[in-house]
Amino acid sequence: MHRDTKSYPGRNPNVNTNRLVGAAASAITLTLALSACGNAGGAATAEETGPGEVRVWLVGSDTPVEARDYLKKTFEEENPGSTLVIEEQAWEGLVDKYTTALSGSDAPDVVEIGNTQAAAFTSAGYFREITADEFETLGGSDLLPGFVEAGDWEGNHYALPYYSGSRVVFYSEQILGDTEVPTTLDEYVETAVDLKTDDLSGVYWPGQDWYNALPFIWENGGFVAEQAEDGTWEAGFSSEGGLAGLEQIQTIMTKGNNAPADTNEADLQVPFCEGKVAFLSAPSWIQWSINAPEEPEDPEGVPGCASTYGKDLQGFALPGKDGGAAQVFAGGSNIAIAQKSARPDLAMSAYEILLSDEYQSILAGAGLFPAKTSLFEQVDQESSIGKAAAEAAANAKLTPASPKWADVESKMLLQTAFTKIASGEDVKTVAEQLDADIEEILNS
Amino acid sequence: MIKIRRRLADTGFGVLALIVFAFSAFPVYWMVSTSFLPNSRIRGEDLAFFPTPDLFTLDNYRAAMFGEARAPFPPAVLNSIGVTFLTLVIALVVGFVASLALTRFQFKGRRTFIVLILVVQMIPGEAMIVSMFRIIDGWQLLNTIIGLTLVYTAGVLPFTIWTLRGFVNGVPKELEEAAMIDGCSRAGAFWRVTFPLLAPGLVATGVFAFIQAWNEFVTALVIMQRPEAMTLPLWLRTFLQATQATNWGAVMAASVLIAIPAVVFFLIVQGRMTGGLVSGAVKG
Amino acid sequence: MSLLADLPAPTAPPRQEIRQPSRKPFLPWLLLSATMVILGVLTGYPVLRLVVMSFQEYERAQLMGLPAEWVGFDNYATVLTDVEGFWAVLGRSFALMVVLVVTTMVLGMLVALLMIRIGKGMRLLVSVGLLLAWAMPSLAATTVWGWVFDTQYGVVNNVLTAITGDRWFGNSWLLNPWSFFLILTCIIVWGAVPFVAFTLYAGLTQIPEEVMEAAQLDGASAFQRFRLIQVPYVRSIITVLVILSMIWDLKVFTQVFVLQDIGGDRELTNTIGVYIYQTGMAQGHYGLASAIGVIFVVVMLAISYPYVRRTLREEEL
Repeated sequence: MHRDTKSYPGRNPNVNTNRLVGAAASAITLTLALSACGNAGGAATAEETGPGEVRVWLVGSDTPVEARDYLKKTFEEENPGSTLVIEEQAWEGLVDKYTTALSGSDAPDVVEIGNTQAAAFTSAGYFREITADEFETLGGSDLLPGFVEAGDWEGNHYALPYYSGSRVVFYSEQILGDTEVPTTLDEYVETAVDLKTDDLSGVYWPGQDWYNALPFIWENGGFVAEQAEDGTWEAGFSSEGGLAGLEQIQTIMTKGNNAPADTNEADLQVPFCEGKVAFLSAPSWIQWSINAPEEPEDPEGVPGCASTYGKDLQGFALPGKDGGAAQVFAGGSNIAIAQKSARPDLAMSAYEILLSDEYQSILAGAGLFPAKTSLFEQVDQESSIGKAAAEAAANAKLTPASPKWADVESKMLLQTAFTKIASGEDVKTVAEQLDADIEEILNS
Repeated sequence: MIKIRRRLADTGFGVLALIVFAFSAFPVYWMVSTSFLPNSRIRGEDLAFFPTPDLFTLDNYRAAMFGEARAPFPPAVLNSIGVTFLTLVIALVVGFVASLALTRFQFKGRRTFIVLILVVQMIPGEAMIVSMFRIIDGWQLLNTIIGLTLVYTAGVLPFTIWTLRGFVNGVPKELEEAAMIDGCSRAGAFWRVTFPLLAPGLVATGVFAFIQAWNEFVTALVIMQRPEAMTLPLWLRTFLQATQATNWGAVMAASVLIAIPAVVFFLIVQGRMTGGLVSGAVKG
Repeated sequence: MSLLADLPAPTAPPRQEIRQPSRKPFLPWLLLSATMVILGVLTGYPVLRLVVMSFQEYERAQLMGLPAEWVGFDNYATVLTDVEGFWAVLGRSFALMVVLVVTTMVLGMLVALLMIRIGKGMRLLVSVGLLLAWAMPSLAATTVWGWVFDTQYGVVNNVLTAITGDRWFGNSWLLNPWSFFLILTCIIVWGAVPFVAFTLYAGLTQIPEEVMEAAQLDGASAFQRFRLIQVPYVRSIITVLVILSMIWDLKVFTQVFVLQDIGGDRELTNTIGVYIYQTGMAQGHYGLASAIGVIFVVVMLAISYPYVRRTLREEEL
């Protein structure tokens, strides 16, 4: 002990010297990078040039491996000597992490962000502005308008669309049998209740999955939150239409569903593949998980059921109140360049690849809706699933465009409220509490 | 008669002891057992309570340590060991000399210092994370072991000083003085006489520094953002946050991997630590 | 341990006390210098910023460099009038702390007494169990408990189904705040009892055998011996353990945070640490979070004032 104290810290053999040197080296690089950042207000002036590293943060596993490989390969070909690293982030706690990470000197360069979360960052100067010229080069009016809007702040572009994907209702013909596919929302609810047994969920709906709840609100004439003339927000779950929607949701959740009230929408293919689900409303790309082999090659891969329930997988767009496709939640992501990116030039190069027709076509091939409307036809629309996805996307809506909406999400207010509804609590009480909580946040 | 009652009581206490053992060990057993079971038997109503040879698998460990979608395991281990070791050593050394100053010397400002050390422990650390982040960022020490060590050291130091101060107080000065009469220098007397008596106290205090550095994850979340800079708790958390449903088999395997070094450390220090606490508090 | 100062300090010859300051006034400060640098920079500065930020409107944009606006006591007013938020969280934290400390101490004492009473082999068995629980990192422990109580595949639901014949699968333990806190209490107490039990056991074994035997011969019942001999003997240890448990249990973070991630109603299960984190880190209201932090420290100071004063008085000796 005595000797240890004397030799510490410089000579302690247990200190990882490599890391110390590495830290010092990266500190120096970063200092250089930072000083370059100081005058990099957006225009490419005295920025550092030459090879460097670009870090891209993609969230979740939605981006297919093929696209990741293409991004890395293309970037490194276009920028000889430079490297591109993809670091996968988790959706949970994403806003917390971005808040500090993007404000620091070791910020990533390009980041994916949920479309409903973008406003929290665009409004606070976290993203580098996309100039009008750059906007035109990157796709201009071809880019998904709703998502472009989600990434705008005070008339400027900060985060552009990455992909979108609206929910589709899946079913297997083996399970559904002779039952007719519902054509209105009311029929959907009835069918779900009729089909439910102890071992079969009419609609498999984990309580925290609030994305699937929004169409019921909208179709019944309700709204999430609207901004009045004077700028204050009013939440609408307890409005007449909102309550009608919530009643329908509660009927399905409690009478047509065996999913736990307190879990989220992760790994929905598992119960589906066990044959315990009639209707499953999920993002269209979940078809690949269902159609995965029973024995995954990767030890961590979650098994699918390609040979059983995946074989005759079908899809339809959630029906609206009066038939046709319901207005559904427009799921998806935006993508942006971090304001504190050490190498905005290289980041822009990666950004261009991410929004290129080639890259977006790969996403389309995987069943995601690409950032550009002109590429929509690349999404397979032969199958019932592809067709349903296109119908749903055409009718998709977003959450309120307030920078504070991300706070509503990070407080998990909606998850909590729908969990309560799924466990049978009084709809009106839950709705009023939820509205009060949402208004408190949006109007703070 | 008395003998029979005694025998009955013995049995009763034996049963109680078994219950205590079962309750303390069950979660650990369940973690280890799950970690060796195939996913098919983990997710399902037909639960396996023991990894029999026909079920036994190392797949979960393979997935946890080498799974491609995961943050890499080896750097996480090295980071955790590095941060924990450095925090432990710095906190003990710095805290120890500080506790000497506060116990063996009378000087102006001593009481203020003691009160400050006490008050600092009441501040909720979560409120300071952002400022810590800004400081470490300013020094360009994000994603480095040094950066995180500094934060942890500052976190455990007040408690370390406070505790060690109690232990040093518990060793009578007269012992040192006696040694000085026997011809030792003041420092010599201290090292030969007082220091060995303090060893249990240092161990006890070290355990708390260890717990903090090995388990903490919220500050680490902010300071260590690159995948290769993650510490073990951050690495474990990535298992819980995946977009896919929790792969409980892999999570349990990962939990076992994190727990093993801690169990080993506790096995080594356990006897000394409680002994130290008691000698400090009872005989002081 | 932190209470060791409460015990009679060893009396040193007065001449020492007089001689030292004059001879080496700089030495103690030299010994304290490392501490002062580390704490000054990494605690002093954040505390200063904490106080400053609590008077500012400090949000995400300010983190990116936008100058912060001074808002006086606005943040404090917001926090202190937020009955459903701050006050509920504060009350919950203290209530939880009391439950945790009492449960931990009672169970810890009982286990320690049990360990004295049983044979060597059994004692080893109990020690092994306790050590395992103690050594489990809190994050891993919470994860494992979450798995034990998992809604779909957890062993508790499985066993309950087997025993009762009713279907417990899908029964959520974390959804209801009461059962959430029940499980939280289980996790924390499970991890905290070993330390308390080991320490008390070590203290109890120091009581001379003859004292206990003499008491028994005098006809003292087991409870009387416990109350009149064992408790007084380990009183100082108990005080130390209670104080430590209070500090730790009030600041409990990991277990709540992780359990909320696994499932549970955040609004109804927040404790002070998690609440500050949610307000600051998750929602970006750093000014508000700082104000909560400052208020919490003030509350803590008010509560611990008698203790601080006593410590100070003893330092004067």
